[in-house]
Amino acid sequence: MPAIVNRKPSLLAVSADYDGVVAVQLDKIGDDFRSNPLSTPQKRTLRSNSTPISTPVKWKSPRRSVNASPNCPPNAIERDVDGRLPKISKSLVKKLADNFAVKPNWNPRDAEQMRAVKEALHLSTSPPVVVCREEEQNKVLEFCKLCIKQEKAGSLYVCGCPGTGKTLSMEKVRRLLVDWTRENGLQQPDLLVLNCTSLTNTSDIFSKILSKSQSQKRSTGTTSPLKLLQNIYSQKPQESSRNMTLIVADELDYLITKDRAVLHDLFMLTTLPFSRCVLIGVANAIDLADRFLPKLKSLNCKPMVITFRAYSKDQILKILEERLMSLPYVVFQKIALELCARKVAAESGDMRKALNVCRSAIEMLEAELRESPNYLSLSPVEKAVIGQQTAPAPDVLEKREIDVVRIDHMVVALSKTYRSPVVDTIQSLPQHQQIILCSAVKLFRGGKKDTTIGELNKCYTDICKSTLIPPVGVLELSSMCKVLNDQGLLKLGQSREEKFKRVALKIDEEDVTFALQGIRFFRSCLQ
Amino acid sequence: MGRENPAAEEALCLLRSRLCDPNFIFKPLSDSPDSNYSKLKFMISSSITEACNNSVLLLGPRGSGKVAVLELVLRDLLLEYPDMISVIKLSGLLHSEDVCAFKEIARQLCVENQLLFSKMASFDDNSQFMIAMLRECGLAHKTIVFVLDEFDLFAQGKQRLLYSLLDAMQSVTSQAVVIGVSCRLDADQLLEKRVRSRFSHRKLLFLPPSSEDLQRLMEHILSLPIDSSLPQDYAVEFNAKLQNVLADKRFKVIIDTYMNSDSTANHLLGFLFRAVSNMKLENGFLTLENFEAALSNVQRQPKLESLKDCSIVELYILVCMKRLEVKEQNSYNFNSMMKEYKSIHDSLRTPDYYSRSVCLRAFEHLLQRELISFTDKRGQNQSVEFHPVKLLVSFHELHQGLKSYRSCPAILQKLMAG
Repeated sequence: MPAIVNRKPSLLAVSADYDGVVAVQLDKIGDDFRSNPLSTPQKRTLRSNSTPISTPVKWKSPRRSVNASPNCPPNAIERDVDGRLPKISKSLVKKLADNFAVKPNWNPRDAEQMRAVKEALHLSTSPPVVVCREEEQNKVLEFCKLCIKQEKAGSLYVCGCPGTGKTLSMEKVRRLLVDWTRENGLQQPDLLVLNCTSLTNTSDIFSKILSKSQSQKRSTGTTSPLKLLQNIYSQKPQESSRNMTLIVADELDYLITKDRAVLHDLFMLTTLPFSRCVLIGVANAIDLADRFLPKLKSLNCKPMVITFRAYSKDQILKILEERLMSLPYVVFQKIALELCARKVAAESGDMRKALNVCRSAIEMLEAELRESPNYLSLSPVEKAVIGQQTAPAPDVLEKREIDVVRIDHMVVALSKTYRSPVVDTIQSLPQHQQIILCSAVKLFRGGKKDTTIGELNKCYTDICKSTLIPPVGVLELSSMCKVLNDQGLLKLGQSREEKFKRVALKIDEEDVTFALQGIRFFRSCLQ
Repeated sequence: MGRENPAAEEALCLLRSRLCDPNFIFKPLSDSPDSNYSKLKFMISSSITEACNNSVLLLGPRGSGKVAVLELVLRDLLLEYPDMISVIKLSGLLHSEDVCAFKEIARQLCVENQLLFSKMASFDDNSQFMIAMLRECGLAHKTIVFVLDEFDLFAQGKQRLLYSLLDAMQSVTSQAVVIGVSCRLDADQLLEKRVRSRFSHRKLLFLPPSSEDLQRLMEHILSLPIDSSLPQDYAVEFNAKLQNVLADKRFKVIIDTYMNSDSTANHLLGFLFRAVSNMKLENGFLTLENFEAALSNVQRQPKLESLKDCSIVELYILVCMKRLEVKEQNSYNFNSMMKEYKSIHDSLRTPDYYSRSVCLRAFEHLLQRELISFTDKRGQNQSVEFHPVKLLVSFHELHQGLKSYRSCPAILQKLMAG
């Protein structure tokens, strides 16, 4: 793996003699040294003495944290490290830890490690530290703090593409806010977090707000919850200061109705003189506030807009590393993570996709493991025993130890995620259906967008004649077009007569050309 | 009547029942580690054992065995992990409406867990129930597998069901697997951005079997088991004869012709069923003729059969009309057709020249048989001779018909070609 070696020389300079001491011991431990010269198994206690960037806390899902505690070390380290390490001076360790936390490679055959890694990379685990969104979080937090301190109402609109950490950041801000109010002795605001997709009617949101803020008042038959809320917020409060209500409305665009009344009324609630709610709306569209709340602009109370931009390559890389940092072993090749970050950032900047691709790459590794021969799955002790008894075959020894997720795994995972199945499907279509696609491509080359089945039939028959394949009749052709329509390759219109049904191509011409280029006949036909 | 051959009858029953059982058919396709069966099984079982949520999409043309393989996987997993899986099945044709879908989910969950289901429950109640059940099952280490058939139909409208399901899978407390089955290749492009972002882009493509796979599949289905209730020597001889048929070149041609228009596994099974049903019970062996008969049964051409019954006059009329169409005359009627007929007669000196009244009679006959028809329904008052007509058989079918006609004059063939 030349890439790894090239990147490390500056760090190696620090530990040149260190390596020499450790090299002898490492042969006994495993073949790790050959694959990753900088990896040295470290005792877990050493890391807690050094000063890492942030304390990696091992988080566990609520289900599984019955017996485990953050301090209990994982099994693999115990097995390998027991009594075999030389004494490493603390100063050297500090220097290394400052630059780059040196960790051993993981053992993918260990089910416990596999589970821990997959959990670390799963979409549902929320990391304790939300990196790369500090600026946006601070803005929201400052806004909320201001509103609570001044006991004024306000509205905020958070927007961004899916997978940019909006909901995650809102969770964090909520928790920080609660802590802050407790520290400063202010009254804790009532929290209402809801996802607008769970509302049957869009106006149910008002009854939810009402039930949160005032538990005694119920909406009678005549006054709607909205009216009640408006009444409450327009009058001076009789009792002493009421609680502020913090409303976080996720997927705000589900509230958009034809007359845009609900959304408008919701934001107007914050403009009423004695309003006590702080509204944070989360959605995808950047211009939602402009498009759907024009009247607010005239009243000069447009909500503040905070945009969560799509992640860049560096941010994705940082987040992935942050997630993997708590694990005491190296799982991915650095360059594999970089490739993943680069590809995802170029395409959408969606963090979920990056996490999915990483998990997919781990599955590639697992698949490789399952196919590898059994020799490499033996423990070192057994290997030593066999090595003494019989001379192991040379080709077996030369096989690489399968440990880290390499760049080829990542490449396969990325191609599986991003490649559309169109090309594969076209290549495996039966012959006549391929000819139909071919004739459609030829017909639409001149800039025409759609045609009829009759025209398609003519072109199809011509192509068949040119190669002496007997063409099928119009009825059969029409049923094949229906099959292609079901698969999403063609688009078939409606008509009373079969011949006049309109046909359009739904896939790219290049896809068809690329898929069929292996067959000489189609190549010449499509030129 | 023929000799009663109980062994042959039993063999026939066995073969027919095999062809109707999807579990039997797709088992050999699933044995390799590379197949969709093992990939799907590994995915679901790792989600169960590692308690992480997953979503996958099964894509492929209709009849390629997606639901069959899925059923196989689920059945095996239910045997391996009893009480750890519950399966909820939804279909896009029935439950694409959000309200219906949640009601059905709640109903199935109630049935699984022996709870009482109330039809009066509102949409809100049902969705709260589903989320609560997901949480409970997550705590109990039970995985819920959602199977969404016709997935592309769920992507119509607001996609609330998909969003709620996939969003529920984002939380740590729930343990679920969502499997979508669709025949549209771009099913995931139909999803909204935020739903697509929550969907892990795993896709399993179900491609039609390759020719080696087809060969193996046919051997697997049609070979009789040696150690069963059938007499052993009969079974051995049957298998030997079957091998001969399968290795025959003509058989390969038959299969290629048949699979040329639709190469899914389901299509092949229909063909095999017909062939097996053609098996003669007297000798009780499958022969090549069975397959040939099945092919001709399947590829029926009703227009060709009509052409075979036509008289020579009618054939002449059809050929003349074809020539007129080839000359790009957009509309022609009986009179122009007669002109063409005359010109052919004059140039080629055909022996049979029929009078106008005979031709008119034949023309009306063709109209009744629907081998030709009027181009539009208006102006029925016009006499038959002036009405524009068109051919209802394609040139290819006409050509085939002439070729297979019992005593077609050579001149007609020449006229067709030129």
